Amino acid sequence: MKVKESEYLKQKKPVLKKLLAKLLDKYEYASILANDSKSVNYRVNKSGTNISEDSTLSERGFVVKVFDNAKAAEYSFNAIEENTIDDVLNEIVSRLNDLGNTLPKGVEAFKYSDIDEEELYINESTEYEVDPEEKGDNNIIELLTRISEKGRSYDERIIDCSVAFNYQKYSKMFISKKKDLTQNVMWSCGYIVTVAKEGEELQNGYKPVSMLGGIEVLDTLEEKLESACNVALDLLKAEPITPGEYECICEPDVTGMIVHEAFGHGVEMDMFVKDRAQAKEFIGKQVASELITMHDGACTIPQVATFFFDDEGVPAHDTIIIDKGILKTGICDDQSAKHLGVKPTGNGRRQDTSRKAYTRMTNTIFEAGSSKLEDMIASIKDGFLLCQASSGMEDPKNWGIQLMVDIAREIKDGKLTGKIYSPIVMTGYVPDLLKSISMISDKIEAGGTGYCGKGYKEWVKVSDGGPYIKARIRLG
Amino acid sequence: MKEKILASLKRLNIEEYFINITSYKSAQMFFIKKSLDTKRAENTISYNVNVFRSFEKAGKQMKGNSSVYIYSGMTDDEIDAAINRAYLAASFVNNPTYELMDPTENKFVTMESDLNDYSLEDCCEKTAEALFAEDNRSDVFINSAEVFAYENKVQLISSTGIDSGYVKRYISGEFVAQCKEPQDVETYKDFRYYTLDTEALKDKVRKTLDYTLERAKATEAPKAGKYRVIISDSYVGEVLGYYPGRAHVGYIYAKYSDYKIGQNIQALDADGEAAEIKGDKVSMRLLPAEPISGEGIWYKEREFMKEGELKTYHGGLRFSRYLGIEPVGDYYRYKVEPGSMSVEDMKKKPYLWVVNFSDFQMDDFTGHFGGEIRLAFLFDGEKVTPVTGGSINGSILESQTNMYLSKETQREADFEGPYAMMFEDVPVAGI
Repeated sequence: MKVKESEYLKQKKPVLKKLLAKLLDKYEYASILANDSKSVNYRVNKSGTNISEDSTLSERGFVVKVFDNAKAAEYSFNAIEENTIDDVLNEIVSRLNDLGNTLPKGVEAFKYSDIDEEELYINESTEYEVDPEEKGDNNIIELLTRISEKGRSYDERIIDCSVAFNYQKYSKMFISKKKDLTQNVMWSCGYIVTVAKEGEELQNGYKPVSMLGGIEVLDTLEEKLESACNVALDLLKAEPITPGEYECICEPDVTGMIVHEAFGHGVEMDMFVKDRAQAKEFIGKQVASELITMHDGACTIPQVATFFFDDEGVPAHDTIIIDKGILKTGICDDQSAKHLGVKPTGNGRRQDTSRKAYTRMTNTIFEAGSSKLEDMIASIKDGFLLCQASSGMEDPKNWGIQLMVDIAREIKDGKLTGKIYSPIVMTGYVPDLLKSISMISDKIEAGGTGYCGKGYKEWVKVSDGGPYIKARIRLG
Repeated sequence: MKEKILASLKRLNIEEYFINITSYKSAQMFFIKKSLDTKRAENTISYNVNVFRSFEKAGKQMKGNSSVYIYSGMTDDEIDAAINRAYLAASFVNNPTYELMDPTENKFVTMESDLNDYSLEDCCEKTAEALFAEDNRSDVFINSAEVFAYENKVQLISSTGIDSGYVKRYISGEFVAQCKEPQDVETYKDFRYYTLDTEALKDKVRKTLDYTLERAKATEAPKAGKYRVIISDSYVGEVLGYYPGRAHVGYIYAKYSDYKIGQNIQALDADGEAAEIKGDKVSMRLLPAEPISGEGIWYKEREFMKEGELKTYHGGLRFSRYLGIEPVGDYYRYKVEPGSMSVEDMKKKPYLWVVNFSDFQMDDFTGHFGGEIRLAFLFDGEKVTPVTGGSINGSILESQTNMYLSKETQREADFEGPYAMMFEDVPVAGI
């Protein structure tokens, strides 16, 4: 079934069109993005049960963007009626006029030269099988409770098992002089987090599921419980690793973290505008093994960051960033594209309508190769299988890697020994790692239970993934 | 809208509820080098309704709750439907019963700040002026910056009679310093102040520009091994935030943490056994970041740790009620007593002083802390060398009995305390 269009946005559209007309009388460019989004979190653990609307993802809001004498300005609000259009208009004009009048010495407002746009009409929806609202809160909590209780009884050292589900269903509308766009999207996620304890030490096992769709995402969650419990228990006996460079195989979620954190952030082209990304100098050059082809796009794969147009009214793309090891292009929001004189790639995204749009990743993956996982493990004499990506930080300027994974499983003479090491910090220089990739598996897996920040804020939903990859990686 | 929500709760016979009405105003400026790229303004309002429902399950008295957002322009029927759905959901939330907060004192407070003396637009512009005041050097400069001035106006209304609120203003932002020679490097810093503290911001910018210059000279990573590690600035607050993290009632109730009031929590080793504290003992106070919590608990400054000994838990209402303790609210502002050593004393023996990480992590779960080194100063006993690369992999459980806090202090929005801290024998992954 297709996600239905928001009745609220349908009702507000005539009012917003009148506001837009009045803005266009005052400014050379004006657009309005409207968002009606509902997101609900469900969680069960031994401390209790929670059902609540997500404060970050749930909103009804609007953002006006104008170019005033070629200078970019925005105003966010979330209340407008037929009889308050002029009040909102006056507030926009007044607040934006009052800001930026006193600029620090030597600072001037930037003027954009190309603010024209092309005619575009979109009205699209994603599909789902079962709407969480129709499934009912009772049934959702019942399922989560069953899994949580089963997890808590798995081993006496498992002191908790948190099981969660959340979804976001949103309708967005973008109107400007030449654009009339509507999209209706729903994604869903679930996860299990087990907590094992010995003394003061706590360890956790994490197994996620995510998809573009409805509550059908939970169909496969329960079968991951045993693995989530075993990971937490294994980590209690993990040892610290001897730092060094090793032959490693990365599970798809670790591959995804490399794709996203280590390389993806470096090709966000708002960083090109600021001269903050080394990738700008590497367009057309080899940055990875010939085995590697990398994509990003809201229509690259159906996952949690799939949509039809971005938050600046640019249609979704499937951008090939690396083609057989050669860096082809970055990804770009509309405003940065104006700076750089290039076409935007549909990557302008906002956390919500009260925030600015930046260049952001969507669904980011490496393509599959042709190797079998068992052959990859058999090819390693002394190395590790890296599992359970935990966190990472971008370094577009210097392409330094800082990624954390929870588990390194030892491989000796082509076999997993059962010995594990934790925690693991992956460091090094991004192109060195990518160029060292010598085998990639024949299937990809992608997931998106997490959020991506710009620096330490501006959280948006993303997915990432890829195949198992074999590479030389410095571990600490 | 407030009246519409209250009328709906009455129509639906909902006896227990908590309403949080927050209006957000902000002024925002985004700079690329010395160019204002975008300016933004915001004026939004949020209505969050949390409904509670008492019921019996398997002979036990339960109280479930569920929250929902109500939006401007909703009709009475739409409000009824949204709240009713939340009320139904609350009946599936199987939490043991507990009492909501009674009002102790109803009042509306404007948090004292010189930010109240100006418009948000002026606050934003004055902050930007301070930020760029130090950006006058030829070898290092501000690459980009974001500056925000916020006003949050909060009103809390409950079925128990709470009707209180506050107005809070603050400024925040971030900037990136860049140095192109001898190598092209950058440093990211963020800031947040509850007053128009332009001198603190200027100092932060100046230090960041200095460190960025040093980083441009750093080429080598430290050799792998164990070091006396010094950290400073915001990283000190992040590490010491481990203790309030583990003393949260959510951790205590779930038995993630075994901390007990009166116990010397700094003396615990990885097995939970007591050890001798050889270094500085931590004394910490909890500071209010706003006057009242979202559950109606009035905040006040509280003693949290005295020479390593835990004096209070903190956290929200439900778990506090379950534990049978006074609910004091969630704290995320701390004040720590300075330590016994000056930074100069710390630097008398060989050390690795990390002044900037690419991303610093303090894991409340495992006690591990660390991150990739963007810039550190390595003293081998003879000379100081700037280094970059490699990573720190420390554990507070292994270090807390032998860590030292500096006499020098720092003051940020959410942390007041030692400027630096030092640990012995911290593993470093390097070349």
